[in-house]
Amino acid sequence: MRTRLLGIGGVLAVIGAAFFGLFVVPADLNQGDAQRIMYVHVASAWIAYMSFGVTALAGIAYLWLRDLRLDAVALAGAEVGVLFTAFTIWGGMMWGRPVWGVYWQWEDPRLTTTALLLALYLGYLLLRRLSEDPARRATRAAIVGLIAAVDIPIVHFSVIWWRGLHQGPTIGSPDKLLHPSAPLQFVAALLLMLGAFTLVWGYLMIRRYQLARIEWQIEEHGRVGRISAARRASLAAHTAPAGTSQAAPVQESTP
Amino acid sequence: MSDVGFVLAGYGVILGGLAMYVLTLLRRLRTARERSLRIRKEADAAPPLPDSGR
Amino acid sequence: MSQLARHATVALAIARKDALAELRGRHASGSTLFFAALVLLLFGFALGPDSRRLTDAAPGLLWLAIVFGGLLTVARLHQLEAEDGAFEQLALYPVDRRALFAGKALAASGAMLVLGGVLLPVVAILYALPIAAAWLALAVTVVLGAIGFAAVGTAYAALTVRMRAREVMLPLLMLPIVAPLLLAAVKATTAALTGDPFGELGSWLQLLAGFDVVMLVVGAGTYGFLLEE
Repeated sequence: MRTRLLGIGGVLAVIGAAFFGLFVVPADLNQGDAQRIMYVHVASAWIAYMSFGVTALAGIAYLWLRDLRLDAVALAGAEVGVLFTAFTIWGGMMWGRPVWGVYWQWEDPRLTTTALLLALYLGYLLLRRLSEDPARRATRAAIVGLIAAVDIPIVHFSVIWWRGLHQGPTIGSPDKLLHPSAPLQFVAALLLMLGAFTLVWGYLMIRRYQLARIEWQIEEHGRVGRISAARRASLAAHTAPAGTSQAAPVQESTP
Repeated sequence: MSDVGFVLAGYGVILGGLAMYVLTLLRRLRTARERSLRIRKEADAAPPLPDSGR
Repeated sequence: MSQLARHATVALAIARKDALAELRGRHASGSTLFFAALVLLLFGFALGPDSRRLTDAAPGLLWLAIVFGGLLTVARLHQLEAEDGAFEQLALYPVDRRALFAGKALAASGAMLVLGGVLLPVVAILYALPIAAAWLALAVTVVLGAIGFAAVGTAYAALTVRMRAREVMLPLLMLPIVAPLLLAAVKATTAALTGDPFGELGSWLQLLAGFDVVMLVVGAGTYGFLLEE
């Protein structure tokens, strides 16, 4: 019930923040209306980084404590994080085209880093799908999440140097938005969107965690069911002559 | 496409994508819960294992 | 101190075993080298006969070929173990997991060094690069790049070796991770070949070294979990 309230609150907050950012705040003098995308773009990026941070921490904690609930948290973080990373890239592209004239700007370290981030965690999710055993899956995922997390700062530095050492053209960076000299209204719109997204994020994390727990229970039930069906069948084979219809459940429950 | 078009595309895809993810998640959760309930009922109805000495 | 010496002995023994296996099953490592050289040849076809453009692109092509060949190399080093069931036995050895990782990473680094050592002259010949003048900087770059790739590769090969679709999963997981390594190695190679006009060679080598250290630490710390699974 409390989770549902959080979800409803989040949706209302996002609608309110979007209304504020789209219609209440005036357009930026330099960037015009395009600047309004920044509110969702920056908020998405922030949420994405937070999600991946949660995934890395939950993964480390799993390696330590061996509690599958932590792995469910890690999974929730990765999936929600991938979603918001995709939003970040989309928002960046929709902002870049009118302001820079191109969708993709190789000289922007954040865009490049974010693209790699998406690739890293898509790989993480794929890896999870290809491992069946829960403990094995959790261990592998935790290690991949950890390596990805330590890779991100290196990627970021390398891409910043790439530009810095190469004297690329100076471009309007998203930094300017958060610059203290920005009008208070812009900052308010960004913070509102950030708060609204954080509420939705909390809701998604809880729901995704619950889904993972239930799905794993069903998975576990399937495994136990196969084992007990096999046991039943072998018992039946011992008591009754072999080849009777009682052996059928084994085949039935094996996918 | 004008600036406004890009703004709409940006907000539309992001907020629409968010809504779609929420709906998909809720649907998956509901199916999973129903399945889990059904399994539990079946487990109660099923005969006990001949050897459950675990 | 004696503890460290014992770990080093274990690591060396494992590296030696892998090196011997590589040398005896020569055709496998030979075909990897051939594949990487072939990639370089095909880049020449893809980028056309303009020799100026090829020379400019050569550092990037060299490192892409090393990455592609390296993916095959690190996968092979673990696959041999998995096929014989030797991986499980390795896990049973009563030695420190970090020593096992060090041995595996050492063997992989050696294989990567051979790859780099073979490809560098090939690139120099195909794309007219003056490598003799900058041999020291190039050697340092190749060594640092080989260690970094081997560290990541050893961890990820151990992770994927018992998975379904490991042929796809290893590159899929590794390529984004080694992206900064690729970037830094290419930049360092370019700087070395052009006489380092902007004085950036040192920075890129530092980045490479930092990548190596981070990945060696993480790999050594997590290798035990992979063996236990």
